[in-house]
Amino acid sequence: MSGESLRLKATEVQTTIGVIKGLEVAIGAVIEEEEEWEPMGPTPFPKVTDLRSWDMTLLKRYKPFYAPFCDLCCLCTYGKCDLTAGKRGACGLDIGTQQGRIVLLACLIGLAAHAGHARHLWHYLVEKFGRNVPVDLGGDIAVEAPHTRLICGFRPKTIGDFDVALKYVEEQLVQLLSATHTGQEGNYLDFESKALHVGMLDHLAMEIADIIQIVALNFPKGDPDAPLVEIGFGTVDRNKPVILCIGHNVAPAVEIVDYLREHNLYDKVEVCGVCCTAHDMTRYYSGAKIIGPLSRQLRYIRTGIPDVIIVDEQCIRADIVREAQRIHAPVVATNEKKCEGLPDRTHDPIDEIVDDLVNFRVPGVFIEDPRKAAELVVKTAIKIAPLRKQYKTLPSKEELIELAKKCTNCKSCRRACPNDYPVNEAVQAAKNGDLSKLAELAEVCVGCGRCESACPRGIPIFTLMTKAAEAEIEKERYKIRAGRGPIKDTEIRNVGAPIVLGEIPGVVAYIGCPNYPGSYREVAEMAEEFLRRRYIVVASGCEAMDIARYLTEEGKGLYEVYPGDFDAGCLVNVGSCVANAHISGAAIKIASIFARRNLRGNYEEIADYILNRVGAVGVAWGAMSQKAASIATGFNRLGIPAIVGPHGSKYRRAYLGRPDREEDWYVYDARTGEKVYAGPAPEHLIYPAESKEEAMVMTAKLCIRPNDTTKGRAIKLAHYIDLHKKFFGGLPEDLHLFVRTEADIPITMKDEVLEFLKEKGWKPMKIPDPTLLPRLIRRKAK
Amino acid sequence: MGMFEDIPVDVGPIYEGERIRKEQMYVEFGGPNVKEKFELCLVKPPEEVEDGKVIIVGPDIKDLEEGKSYPFGIIVEVAGKELEKDLEGVFERRIHYFCNYIEGFMHLNQRYDIWLRLSRSSFKKGLNSFNYIGKVLIRLFKSEFPIIEKIQVTFITDPEKVKEWFDKALKIYEERDARALALHDEDVEEFYGCTLCQSFAPSHVCIITPDRLSLCGSISWLDARAAARIDPKGPNFRVEKGECLDPIRGEYSGANEAVREKSLGEVERVYLYSMFGYPHTTCGCCEAIAFYIPEVDGIGIVDRNFKGPTVIGLTFSALANEVGGGRQVEGFVGISIGYMRSPKFFQADGGWSRVVWMPSHIKERVKDAIPPELYDKIATEKDAMTIEELREFLKQKGHPVVERWAKMEEKAEEVPEEVEMVPAMVPVEGVPVAGGFRIIFKNVKITAEKMIIRRELPPKKKKKE
Repeated sequence: MSGESLRLKATEVQTTIGVIKGLEVAIGAVIEEEEEWEPMGPTPFPKVTDLRSWDMTLLKRYKPFYAPFCDLCCLCTYGKCDLTAGKRGACGLDIGTQQGRIVLLACLIGLAAHAGHARHLWHYLVEKFGRNVPVDLGGDIAVEAPHTRLICGFRPKTIGDFDVALKYVEEQLVQLLSATHTGQEGNYLDFESKALHVGMLDHLAMEIADIIQIVALNFPKGDPDAPLVEIGFGTVDRNKPVILCIGHNVAPAVEIVDYLREHNLYDKVEVCGVCCTAHDMTRYYSGAKIIGPLSRQLRYIRTGIPDVIIVDEQCIRADIVREAQRIHAPVVATNEKKCEGLPDRTHDPIDEIVDDLVNFRVPGVFIEDPRKAAELVVKTAIKIAPLRKQYKTLPSKEELIELAKKCTNCKSCRRACPNDYPVNEAVQAAKNGDLSKLAELAEVCVGCGRCESACPRGIPIFTLMTKAAEAEIEKERYKIRAGRGPIKDTEIRNVGAPIVLGEIPGVVAYIGCPNYPGSYREVAEMAEEFLRRRYIVVASGCEAMDIARYLTEEGKGLYEVYPGDFDAGCLVNVGSCVANAHISGAAIKIASIFARRNLRGNYEEIADYILNRVGAVGVAWGAMSQKAASIATGFNRLGIPAIVGPHGSKYRRAYLGRPDREEDWYVYDARTGEKVYAGPAPEHLIYPAESKEEAMVMTAKLCIRPNDTTKGRAIKLAHYIDLHKKFFGGLPEDLHLFVRTEADIPITMKDEVLEFLKEKGWKPMKIPDPTLLPRLIRRKAK
Repeated sequence: MGMFEDIPVDVGPIYEGERIRKEQMYVEFGGPNVKEKFELCLVKPPEEVEDGKVIIVGPDIKDLEEGKSYPFGIIVEVAGKELEKDLEGVFERRIHYFCNYIEGFMHLNQRYDIWLRLSRSSFKKGLNSFNYIGKVLIRLFKSEFPIIEKIQVTFITDPEKVKEWFDKALKIYEERDARALALHDEDVEEFYGCTLCQSFAPSHVCIITPDRLSLCGSISWLDARAAARIDPKGPNFRVEKGECLDPIRGEYSGANEAVREKSLGEVERVYLYSMFGYPHTTCGCCEAIAFYIPEVDGIGIVDRNFKGPTVIGLTFSALANEVGGGRQVEGFVGISIGYMRSPKFFQADGGWSRVVWMPSHIKERVKDAIPPELYDKIATEKDAMTIEELREFLKQKGHPVVERWAKMEEKAEEVPEEVEMVPAMVPVEGVPVAGGFRIIFKNVKITAEKMIIRRELPPKKKKKE
């Protein structure tokens, strides 16, 4: 499959039958037909409604639960319309439907970011290496692109082949976005079904983005022993020129590394990054350094250390130029999605631009050519670093106290804080020379800077906080395993037996953004708990970074202690945000590899398989961006539940199951066609947890699946009960819903569980071969 | 009430993966620093077992010196109407799991090779006597195996006594192994089935016999028997052997019936000792895959830890993709490493004399099972990575399959070569192509919406048995 078009022109062609003059041949698409590999399923390239019945099956059990962020609709000029207390808007829409619409919009924005990112990367890589870079992920990965196979129904052979899949995503995006226009869709469940469709497409787009960069740029190909790289403020040598890359699209960073390599400048310049670009830089060059997740962006800039800031796309602060000006560091924008009002200098001579930047004649420039941007950035960094010495420091303690003295304790800062931290108290304490409270604040702060912008006295609160924690952050030096990309087929197979035999209780994925209240160590603490319990722990993006910024009792990082395999008690960093597709991809591969279910265009069956059989759960402890919405929704359509953090109640909507409604939890036994009560497993698809303790108990519970073998169920219940006892005390109240036969009871807890079951009037239940799809009931041969 | 309220530390499967490093250790039992150590389970007459008793021979934990390694033995004695000697090994392996359930108590390896550590923090919490460990073991054994009616546990730290028992234990292991090895499919009335994998691969059914371990390598006939006895409704079930329909290929009417029923009719017959005709189905978690190589008329084997491509160019993964998921595919079958040690190992196909290629680390691992005269004739990845190299290697070493080639060639000659149809140039009708004319087309425009390039491969020739 390649889909290139062909055009031929010849002024004169000699043939045996004659001479042809002015020949023109135009062929729309040249398609190399695939060899037969798997029968095509029912839904290749599904349209918006092709999987609607699957969505409705899910939505019937997992009802959308809305906590409206806003109860007005301000999207058209009929409005604003007040939608409270059952009122409808001028177009006829009610508040539930409006919430569904907003969810769809959020997911669409997320998808557009990933699809745009994938498309950009695709153009960049095709231009640099050609369309024919083979999609070769090594001998242990035969199922190279599970989402592409599942959704589109083809096997990509080269990066060029992905063009067709991207075009499909782009077309769907247009149709789906149009559904949010005034006067289009008017039913909340249909909005949700569309959001689920978007989520599915999002994983496809992410898969494409990550696979093409892996194969073209030679990132680790599912390597469990990918190198340990450095992360933390303290890893950067501030005496060298420092280039800070922010964003998600690795192209400019790749060019910087290449430029340094070509010019022997490797050890003369520091290249570091924030957010996903940082992940991907280390996948390309293990000497690159990760400053930290998104939440560290503003803080690192405030230290004044970066000499030049280069941005690509996504999760970059909108005030980046302003912030950079504060520390006298020029900004180079490189992506059409983020021009920042800077002059386009793509076609100007480099030395001229360097001169302008070094002399602060412009705050920054826009260069659309990554290669040129790279050269510019390196040259500028080397020239400007000596001139910037005075800006590379934070204010002194005395200056800080003077600044704090301006505070009138009006509490505007606290009101502005998304997590309601007592910012004012910390500033007040600083007035008297006590910086400890500011330092404590720095520990839990998500780095948004709203406190500062709310301060009527113009106190640079964020800088104060950074200064107060300076000693601590200077010490920050941790290790993280560079993003390894996909899970190998062999690894999937290796965990097969232990999962069936009940030795591995589940797969827990830490994904999402770093904007959760409380300490940034919370994610690492949760991960460690499940690593010690020998779950398979997977991480991506900013949360993979948070997991690194933590030391065990013995003073080692989790990536140093736990191996990088996809196996019990191992910790896998798949890579940047787009590498999330490998986590959902691993669940798809389980269906393909254990059960040999056909993937090709067979979405519904595979999602049904995963929902009923694969004990995987995602934890998006911080969920900030619209991308987080589409990623989580994509996991959900595939049957994988997600837990969101404490601020999750404002995260647009949850999908909550109702264990009290027995009728919701029947499945078909595929062997007999009988409808069997299978218990509330998994209980929810999106669940907001109030605390990390609650999240941990829920994580263990959401790994339970109707098909568990008795051994598997026993180990899952052992962890569920143990975590419940540890954090809440006593046996969980709903335990009886998950015990099917006595063999399900963990042997170390038999007596007390049996007693509890007796009280509940428990009766043994059947263990089905579960499915929600009547068409999958197996007819006896003959 | 919890089962372990009176134990000073926590007990549960969550501690299974716990590793106790040297710096965290209070004392060590067995392990590499100690010559004599063992664990043993014995089935005894009821009058010889005092239910619930813990016996300590030698100093107890609290009387041992911190940081040292000690000779050590554990003896678990059980009694019960339904117990028989064959279950000893099955129970004995649980000692490992049950010890690991105890917080701060680590157990590695088995039999004469055990290595246990107690952590300093658990010792501090009060885990200072074998009495506690004994109580935990007794309760867990009784809870998991209701057929155990009486149980007592002995811990030995007295070096003299350890040595005395160590020698006895070695003999018992030897006898037990000899008994297990001597037990063959002919000697038993029943086989066992396993449908554990059906939770993920719904049409797979494993038939487990004394000569044929489960595909995953973790359930022997004895294990399956114990499991079926303890939980008759569970995933391990008794399969009547029925009539032996073919002793060479290993076809039994009972096994056929069981497979037919449990696969809902998808699989009709199964040969237990052959990869041709009706081979056993393959699940997703088999330890290795055997594959027929028609070009040399031999069998290749690859295990799941072998990363690279095999001699036929396919990796383990790719092969498993072809045959896994509960399918029956002639010429391909998932097997356990243990099955390679079986006297019935592909007996219908020639057994080891038909095996031509396997990864070197597996060849080394099952060296004891390979007939010595064949050992050097089986190629590994170091000898051959293509069919041509393999053919050369086999010829050079005089592998028994080489003799089969001559016969094969004779047969092949009888089949006429298929004639490939090559589409000839079709002359455009009505257009004279001979000399005399000159035709000029001007401004020719050919527009096609799509051009599909379809690869046409000649039909594959099948070679078999």
